[in-house]
Amino acid sequence: MNQPLPLAGLVVLDISTFIAAPAAAVALADYGADVIKIEAPGEGDPHRHNYKRAATYPRSDSNFPLQLDGRLKRSLALDLKKEESRPVLEKLVKRADIMIVNFPPPARLRLRLRWEDMQPINPRLVYCSLTGYGESGPDRDRPGFDVTAYFGRSGILDAARYEGGPPGLSLPAQGDRATAMTLVAAILLGLRHRDQTGEGCWVGTSLYANGAWANGTTLAGAAIGGTLVTREPPHKPKNALTNLYRTQDDRWLQLLMVRDDRLWPTFCRVIGQPELETDPRFTDREERRQRALELHAVIAPLFAARTYAEWEALLSKTGIPFGVIGRVADVVDDEQAKHAGIFADTTNPEVPRTVNNPIRLGFAKPRVSGKPSAVGENSEEILRELAYSEAEIEALRKAGALG
Amino acid sequence: MAESALPLQGLKVLDISSFIAAPAAAVVLGDWGADVVKVEGPEGDPNRRIMTDSANYPKAAVNYPWEMDSRNKRSLVLDLKKPEARAALERLLKWADVLICNFPPLVREKLKLGYDDVKPVNPRLIYASLTGYGESGPDRDRPGFDATAYFARSGLLDAQRYEGGPPGVPGPAQGDRATAMALVSSILMALIHRMKTGEGSWVGTSLLGNGLWSCGVIAQAALANAYLPHRPPPERPRSALGNIYRTSDDRWLQLTIVQEDKMWPPLAEAIGRPELIADDRFAQTAERRKRSAELAAILSEAFASEPYAHWGRVLAAGGITFGVISRPQDVPHDEQAVACGAIVDTAIPELPRTLSNPIRLGFAEQRTAHPAPGLGQHSEQILREVGLEAREIAALKSIGAVK
Repeated sequence: MNQPLPLAGLVVLDISTFIAAPAAAVALADYGADVIKIEAPGEGDPHRHNYKRAATYPRSDSNFPLQLDGRLKRSLALDLKKEESRPVLEKLVKRADIMIVNFPPPARLRLRLRWEDMQPINPRLVYCSLTGYGESGPDRDRPGFDVTAYFGRSGILDAARYEGGPPGLSLPAQGDRATAMTLVAAILLGLRHRDQTGEGCWVGTSLYANGAWANGTTLAGAAIGGTLVTREPPHKPKNALTNLYRTQDDRWLQLLMVRDDRLWPTFCRVIGQPELETDPRFTDREERRQRALELHAVIAPLFAARTYAEWEALLSKTGIPFGVIGRVADVVDDEQAKHAGIFADTTNPEVPRTVNNPIRLGFAKPRVSGKPSAVGENSEEILRELAYSEAEIEALRKAGALG
Repeated sequence: MAESALPLQGLKVLDISSFIAAPAAAVVLGDWGADVVKVEGPEGDPNRRIMTDSANYPKAAVNYPWEMDSRNKRSLVLDLKKPEARAALERLLKWADVLICNFPPLVREKLKLGYDDVKPVNPRLIYASLTGYGESGPDRDRPGFDATAYFARSGLLDAQRYEGGPPGVPGPAQGDRATAMALVSSILMALIHRMKTGEGSWVGTSLLGNGLWSCGVIAQAALANAYLPHRPPPERPRSALGNIYRTSDDRWLQLTIVQEDKMWPPLAEAIGRPELIADDRFAQTAERRKRSAELAAILSEAFASEPYAHWGRVLAAGGITFGVISRPQDVPHDEQAVACGAIVDTAIPELPRTLSNPIRLGFAEQRTAHPAPGLGQHSEQILREVGLEAREIAALKSIGAVK
């Protein structure tokens, strides 16, 4: 521990919005990079307002998503549409090691922010691009969101459903954050290439490719015409002993009794139905499978009559495998989550704890984060680092290029 | 592009792991040029049999999951439980740059495969650890699976449900594959560290940590005591214009209309109900929200009258945004899936196409997938490479330590 952070000394320009690409920049910052977020003067990255605007976000008075996606960054409010901003941007690009962009290709072209535009300015730059659907093809220019590109288009939502039911649900930014880890890997491979050859490069990924990768098992099966499986809903199980049961307190218990050949008598006693053991309908495994619905009708009301805690007490130490569907409310105080290094304290009193990125290093700990910068909070400081004079800074402000 | 340009060319990886998340990380390293040796016990990685063993895998004539998770690897059967195998293992550890291990900590101790055990053998070794729940704590030794550690324990499945409905359904290996990218990132960070300091290190990640990272928004909200209510089912949406609808051919459309007041008239036209535009019940956003169930019933009936392809054309013509919910069988034929590099050709005759990993590099192409190895297919070759003599190999074979 306490060795220098692996990315200390790297300068990252985060010219991206919303979540997947900014979250990748966060992971780099967590491990030491100096991340400069370039955003529009005024509102800044629209993600700054998601906690108030997005209907799918939990309501809160504190800007909790910004602690996740904006921590440890310096904010430079620079209007890239203004010609006066161009020299500032080019000076930053010259100094940068990594640039992260998520504009769709037409906007990149308009703003002259493509790799081809940047390479002449800094041939050692690692240019990282995130798109919804890739850098070519019919849907190249389509703005991509997590729900549509990662989950909908990749077949995850269709596969994540019970037979006859509606498609599965994804959570806000769930695929964005998984994609961020791919971006980090792509950037680190780009850095390795630079170390090996002295040359910068383009690297990138798309939300669609990440959704397809996550759904890879099913898609690989589909690609060779495999027979896709459907998941029966818990009230119509194929095997009532490996199924989900709702408890009295609206929790879901996963019964995972694969060895019912051995455990059936124990189970009958534990659920308070010793006479079931000799019930001719269910005496052997095959009958229990054939009569899964009948068996379900017997045991579902029993599970529904007690709380999860009561069931946990009854089932523990019987050898019957079971689990619970966790609630996020429980995880935040979960002893195991502490040991796994999943949460971290911050020095921001408004959001005192945050979620760590999932990378653990034996030789370094992620940096502690404070209050994320406001839009343009570090504009002047960054411009002074670029040797801009007060008069020049003032002129940029007057032109509306700098916020 | 020439294979010599691959960024991980020359990197030697020992994949002493089973199932999916950790082996998939080794696949990604192999895709980018690493020489990956898979060390298996005499029975082989159970992932060789998962297609038939797991009820949730699509069934096919080709063992596609094994091909996908083992492409371009070589297989060495070495029974690590036999003390005679230790000397060979140490040769391999000296040879390797990276060791990927996913045994639970207790098994690692038994096999003397903890970081402290292997560091003296090769101080430059990067030890990459995957666990279900972290390296310490009460659940440290619990075997972790994607469905239990990434999805259930993290709170993902509980959150991914419709109000009153059963928990969400994870796709096979969905969280494993996302986690693989975090493991790859951690290994690449360690390579940077080794380049700077000359030293190896321990790095790792956990399925639980990755599950929580992906649902970071709700986890971060929970840390601020903010919770997301379960999503109302499609027949009672918060907004009928941001809802899913079943088409006559049993597919689902995801309406994602944000600018409701502007897009309501074209939507009413598109579904062939122009009289609704003048209907006072639905004139304004506030009224449509208040009567969302009533409106959803009207829209459901309309969308159920025509097939998916019809609605795709009609909605696009009306400029109405909607998300595509692809079925897994559609994705391999999606031109955009090929354009974004998700679906690629292989050199495996019975499995002509597969999923590539989602990292894209401008300076190199991923290696083409060649057939996954048979159990112990390269045992002799590998052991000779690390310096064992024919006599030693024969001795190990005679006691069943090598196959």
